[in-house]
Amino acid sequence: MEFMRKSTEEIYDIVIIGGGPNGVALAAYLAKCGLSVCVLEERSEAGGACEQTEPIAGVRINPHAAVMYAAAAPGWEQLELWKYGFRMSWEPAWAFTPLIKTVMTTEGAVPFSDKDGLGWAKITGMLGSPTFTKELLRATFWCPPHPPEVEVTAENIPFMQVYKERAPEIWTEELLQMTMFDLMDEYLETEPFKVMQAFASWYSGAAAHYQGMAIPAMGGNIAVTLYGASAPRGGMHDYFHAILRCALAHGAVVRTCCPVEEIIIRNGQAVGVHLRDNAAWGEKTIWADKAVVSAVDVRQTFNKLIGPQHVDRGLLQKVNDISLKGGSIYVSHFLTREPLRLSPKFKDWPHMTGGIYPCDSREIYYDHVADVDGHKGDPTMPAQRVFWMAVPDGRFPSTDPQCTIPNHYLVSPFYVFVPPPEYHVDGPDAINKYKEKWNAYMREAFSQVVENLNSDSLVYHWANTPLESEFRNTGLIGGGYSGARLCKDHMWTNRPLPELSRYCTPIDRLYLGNQSTGHPGGLCLMAIPYNLMHILIEDGIAEPGNWWYPSPWYIPERGKISAIPRK
Amino acid sequence: MELRKRQTPMLTGDIFDEFPDESDWDAIIIGAGPNGLMTGAYLAKAGAKVAVVERRYEVGGGLATEEILFPCYYSNMHAIYHMMVDYMPVMQDFNLDKHALVWIKPNLQTAMVFEDGSSLLLTRMVEDTADSIHKVSHKDAVAFGKLMRTWRRMVSEIVGPATYLPPTPSLDWIVALQRTEVGRELLELNEGSPLEIMTDHFENDRVRALMLYVACMWGLDPRETGIGLFVPLLLERGMNKCYCYGGSHKFAGALAREIVRAEGTILEAAEVTRINMQNGNVAGVELMEGRTLNSKVVISSLDPHTTFFDLVGKESLPTTLKETVENWKYDKWSYYTLHLVAKEKPKYQCDDPWVNESFMTVFGFDSTDQVVAHWNNVMAGKVDGDFGGHSTCESFWDPHLVRMPGGEVSFFQMHAPYDIEGGWEKRNKELEEAILDKWQKAAPNMKRENIIMTSPETPVDIEIRFPNMRRGAIKHGDYTPMQLGYNRPNTECSSSKTPIGGLYLCGASTYPGGMVTGGPGYVAANKVAEDMGLKKWWKPTPAMEKYIKTYME
Repeated sequence: MEFMRKSTEEIYDIVIIGGGPNGVALAAYLAKCGLSVCVLEERSEAGGACEQTEPIAGVRINPHAAVMYAAAAPGWEQLELWKYGFRMSWEPAWAFTPLIKTVMTTEGAVPFSDKDGLGWAKITGMLGSPTFTKELLRATFWCPPHPPEVEVTAENIPFMQVYKERAPEIWTEELLQMTMFDLMDEYLETEPFKVMQAFASWYSGAAAHYQGMAIPAMGGNIAVTLYGASAPRGGMHDYFHAILRCALAHGAVVRTCCPVEEIIIRNGQAVGVHLRDNAAWGEKTIWADKAVVSAVDVRQTFNKLIGPQHVDRGLLQKVNDISLKGGSIYVSHFLTREPLRLSPKFKDWPHMTGGIYPCDSREIYYDHVADVDGHKGDPTMPAQRVFWMAVPDGRFPSTDPQCTIPNHYLVSPFYVFVPPPEYHVDGPDAINKYKEKWNAYMREAFSQVVENLNSDSLVYHWANTPLESEFRNTGLIGGGYSGARLCKDHMWTNRPLPELSRYCTPIDRLYLGNQSTGHPGGLCLMAIPYNLMHILIEDGIAEPGNWWYPSPWYIPERGKISAIPRK
Repeated sequence: MELRKRQTPMLTGDIFDEFPDESDWDAIIIGAGPNGLMTGAYLAKAGAKVAVVERRYEVGGGLATEEILFPCYYSNMHAIYHMMVDYMPVMQDFNLDKHALVWIKPNLQTAMVFEDGSSLLLTRMVEDTADSIHKVSHKDAVAFGKLMRTWRRMVSEIVGPATYLPPTPSLDWIVALQRTEVGRELLELNEGSPLEIMTDHFENDRVRALMLYVACMWGLDPRETGIGLFVPLLLERGMNKCYCYGGSHKFAGALAREIVRAEGTILEAAEVTRINMQNGNVAGVELMEGRTLNSKVVISSLDPHTTFFDLVGKESLPTTLKETVENWKYDKWSYYTLHLVAKEKPKYQCDDPWVNESFMTVFGFDSTDQVVAHWNNVMAGKVDGDFGGHSTCESFWDPHLVRMPGGEVSFFQMHAPYDIEGGWEKRNKELEEAILDKWQKAAPNMKRENIIMTSPETPVDIEIRFPNMRRGAIKHGDYTPMQLGYNRPNTECSSSKTPIGGLYLCGASTYPGGMVTGGPGYVAANKVAEDMGLKKWWKPTPAMEKYIKTYME
């Protein structure tokens, strides 16, 4: 190379910017291929959205991810996470699954019908013989988008192939145009059940009202119910630990407190990174011989790390138009002196104080959508109708409690969608200006179902607003969970943009590995690293051993090395 | 010994792999605090198949940096002043720098500010301290300089390196120290109490107050004799404290990375409920979740009551050991810490602007009597309006603690009883207000309207967060002659090996003690490696070698 390196500077094969679940799982994959890998994380602890914190002694809260969605990931086998101490905290009784028999509405807990349960099981592949749920999930999330020369059709989209083969009676070209509501109207019966599923899918990323997202939206719901909505032992951060330790055991270096200032680009090629002045690393330049991967959100990647000097204005405009809507969450955490009691009309609700409310009708759902993504102001929904989702501490078994203070009880997280700070008419910090007011609003919303969330019982009400979430965790742009809306314009070959859809950039040797920069988005699935591996094999960067297997629906790009191992 | 995975069927009939229900190991370490991690790192790198099991969801124990000022602000709510970085063998034996571990050792270590706006400084560089003392006493300034000549040697030649070598029976040690002049001086010093030592050496009361505070703040009783050798150690090391850039947890993270690179395994959310026994020897551990880890070697970093009574069980203990554990005394005082986010860094109203860049700032005390009176109060279960303590503005040293611009993270810490009169539930808020009043008096910009949020941590909270810091005992047990050196935790166990076959100790309640010295962890690693017949891949530090040659051969 033509530029000069100082002897004190380090050289790795791969430099990965961002130490969240995607960046570090990719490091594990690449280190397992024998490459030297350095991950640079800005925060003092790696893990990204897989984080917990203990704001007061004995209370473990979840500011972001709370339950496991990654059940079907090839990463479990390929990275052998069980070896690195991975254990689950099973709580199969508590779930948004067909096993539950009621749905929470303003009228109380209402039952749903057999047709709902059976219909849901049918479209999610659970009734197949054998079941094809895992196959459907892998097809939906764990396959790189097809290469640009391949025309995407109802015949070759992976999940469509699965339906065609395993449940041809469900397959129809319209599946690609449907919203999840359309799909549910065809197969399910009761409105509250549909609305509960719709809310769950919205909170999982791809919403039930997005055009053409029926199957990915449903996929998010199955991904969480596949584990009975359980969590890893020790919380999502300890799931991350297993991934991190796999990377470390294979020789990857993962450094915290090392924010990156810019990606070094020479002659159109990414060759390393400069660290910011406050980084915990003396020499601020680190070189990458084979590739730089940005596991940072799409806006910062292009606007800051690459910089406008290396990107044409047309592309930059498209990047800045990527929608941050569809998932800005106001997260509350309640610590109380008494166990929260359900008000009498919910006595049939079996799941303590957790769940989804109110699921009466899609009118409430649409009102909430309008409030969050239409009005662009503070919430206008009355607290009595605003939709929420809660996870009580009883959801972890007694051997892995979230709260160990005697006679204290925790609900964390309690989610409510609010407008993304970036689009708020009064500016990004608008909702933070009246945090006390919005906290009271959240408590009132919860109090529609519980009767003793009052000053006598409440010890702490912590909250992270979307704005605070963005500052805590800069990758969570929009204060949401997916970093970019999971609608048809930002999914599959369109995520984040058609020209960037295979995790590549116009800069040679610079790849994208963040949930906002590629299919299938968020949920800590180990999917982006797996999908990106196909591309890195195609480009001759990674050469995995026998442990590797590609997605069965993967199509290699013409003229490149196929990620399908030769027999 | 190949691990066999556990296979759990999912709802859909697929298979998902988890860590096994039962597994075999060469050594199991209970507790992933600094000592447990160090023992694990040495043994794993020596080729032992090691499992470290930790009750919390995160490794580190006292090396914790958490977002206790939620959301957006982190604080080191436990260890922050790292005193033994210069001596810890892990620093030479592992390339921890690789994990971006950076230490900051400010010259201005401690400032004491008084009500009249004057101040005294204790610095890493002797002459800067002397300069400050000259303001109040030429004699003390000269005495300080002279004192540090010998005290530094006592630390660098004897107490520092001895921290990492197995303890010597008291009488043998006294004989050994007679060999050198500095050894004899140290023995002489050991006879005095910290208060006597400071009174003997300094004439000015405020100089005495500063020196006494720094020497005793971690739990030496100012009037106890026979612990004098800790005075030069804690004072000299109190002039060489390091801050771990990014937060103390980074130190734990670096050690954990070394364990994993050496193929060791770490399990979090893995509370041990029992140490399994077989024919009088240890056979492994049982986890609360029901998993079993088998090993003929179990190394516990927990306090003596937990290790011997709760996990092994009284019925399996020899009588003498049972008695010594029963008599174990926890620290005579714990700590009350008020963490907060303010709009500004504290600006102290005093004669020296440099005070605002001090690593640690002591305020609330105007005299030695006041310092001692506060400690007397605390030992009697009381805290009255006359308290003092120390503070640090952490974000001054570490921008990584602040995620949302506009806030500065600081804390104030004072000695406090576990059993406070009236109970912590009642006193907590009152003390918080009293601290804020006192702080504002010393630093006027710490006024209420500048405080964004607070997070107090009482001695009871310490115990809730770290249950084996019983009664809020950060050192897992008091520093008294009967519980120090060869006697820590007792003469049978201070080498780290216990009378129970295969059971070792590596925590703060074992020689040489707490305060993230890494001593117990290193001593245990050596002992276990020798007993297991592992090849030691590491060598003592040059300071340790010199000490061995001078005193032990």
